[in-house]
Amino acid sequence: MQIESPEGRLGQPMTRLSPSPNALAGMRLLALDNGKPGADFLLRRAGERLAERTGAVFVGLHRKKTAATPCEEELLDQIIQDADIVLTGTAD
Amino acid sequence: MTMHDEALELATGSPEEMFDLFERRGWGDGLPLVPPTKDRVDAMLGGNESTVAHPDDEVIATLPPRNGEVTRRALAVNAVLAGCRPGVLPVLVTAVRAMADPDFNLRGINATTHPCAPLVIVHGDATKSLAFNSGLGTFGPGTRANATLGRAVRLVLIHIAGARPGDGDASTQGQPAKYGYCIAENEAESPWQSYPRSLGMRAASSVTVTCGENPHNFHDMESDEPAPILDKAASVMATLGSNNAPVSSAEFFVILGPEHAATIAQAGWTRRDVQSYLYETARLPVGLVRDAFNVVQFRPWIKALHDDDLMPITDHPDNIRVLVAGGAGKHSCVIPSWGMTRSITREIES
Repeated sequence: MQIESPEGRLGQPMTRLSPSPNALAGMRLLALDNGKPGADFLLRRAGERLAERTGAVFVGLHRKKTAATPCEEELLDQIIQDADIVLTGTAD
Repeated sequence: MTMHDEALELATGSPEEMFDLFERRGWGDGLPLVPPTKDRVDAMLGGNESTVAHPDDEVIATLPPRNGEVTRRALAVNAVLAGCRPGVLPVLVTAVRAMADPDFNLRGINATTHPCAPLVIVHGDATKSLAFNSGLGTFGPGTRANATLGRAVRLVLIHIAGARPGDGDASTQGQPAKYGYCIAENEAESPWQSYPRSLGMRAASSVTVTCGENPHNFHDMESDEPAPILDKAASVMATLGSNNAPVSSAEFFVILGPEHAATIAQAGWTRRDVQSYLYETARLPVGLVRDAFNVVQFRPWIKALHDDDLMPITDHPDNIRVLVAGGAGKHSCVIPSWGMTRSITREIES
């Protein structure tokens, strides 16, 4: 018996993360707050510690509007200008 | 060969063999499935006449997070798997189109840790012609149309959208409504115009999709006037436990049983009266909500309220969506929203 696949074709491929750099020294590191409670504290501290350990420059934290929607295009453009590496997280 | 065109070979064609194949691939909802053979899928598509009007392979939506392309054929495969009767495919097509509306925010719905699920509500002639149950037990088991259409929507989300638990679906605990969540409006026993008509629509048949929690029951067997019944609804709505508390723009669906609706309407209350009364009575002290959540999404005028003021649990009466479904008995329910989503109502395509 033959049956058909339930998945359908894939549309536009999902965006993948850029390759990680070999070294962070001298790079501008920015944290992106996903809007969840405590994310600003956690990500800021993680960013600061990471910068201390690697020689990266922690340039601060940006916050997207809500965890329920993708990051706003304007904010993404700003992040591209402000940073070489972004530290962020999803969910809670 | 694309995944869409992939034909899967079953050696014996036994239910157990297909069940095992789907389990290995991470497909299905954990329940037995009907094999989507070409004949069954073609029958679901309705034959050549339907194909001419609506090409099987036309991409009608793309569903996140997998970015799977929705075609009628892909929907038909999932409808067969779920056990749908062929005539129900236009309802599924309409529901999926509605879920692809940006205001529905399917990406967030599939990705959230919240236990929300899309509820499909069928309105109009399709309720009778396709044998949906709008009466006693409309949310429950026992009616093929409700059960299989709701299940087909979930299978579409799992297979095409990629909302597999732990992968594309991050819901912390899940919920039973993720197996299937479909009811029909009981227009015959509603004292008011149909829900789509109240939105200004005049279609013979339509579908509403909304993303919320499971139904929260309220019962009132004592009252012969509207206010005490609706006070119980307001009590269910005004809780810190739902996303409506921190997200002021979020909707509620208030599904009244016909007996409650009749009692309310016999006192001369309109649907708008119900919405207005619930807007005025479903309230919490602002300070209580502020203390409970580090992050709130309030309208500016709610932000300006003082801690001891009472804030409405939703910021506009229109966010309280009222319709009638179910049968005999003194039970109704409230469906709180996931929050960052809007319900969508669309005419069922012919």
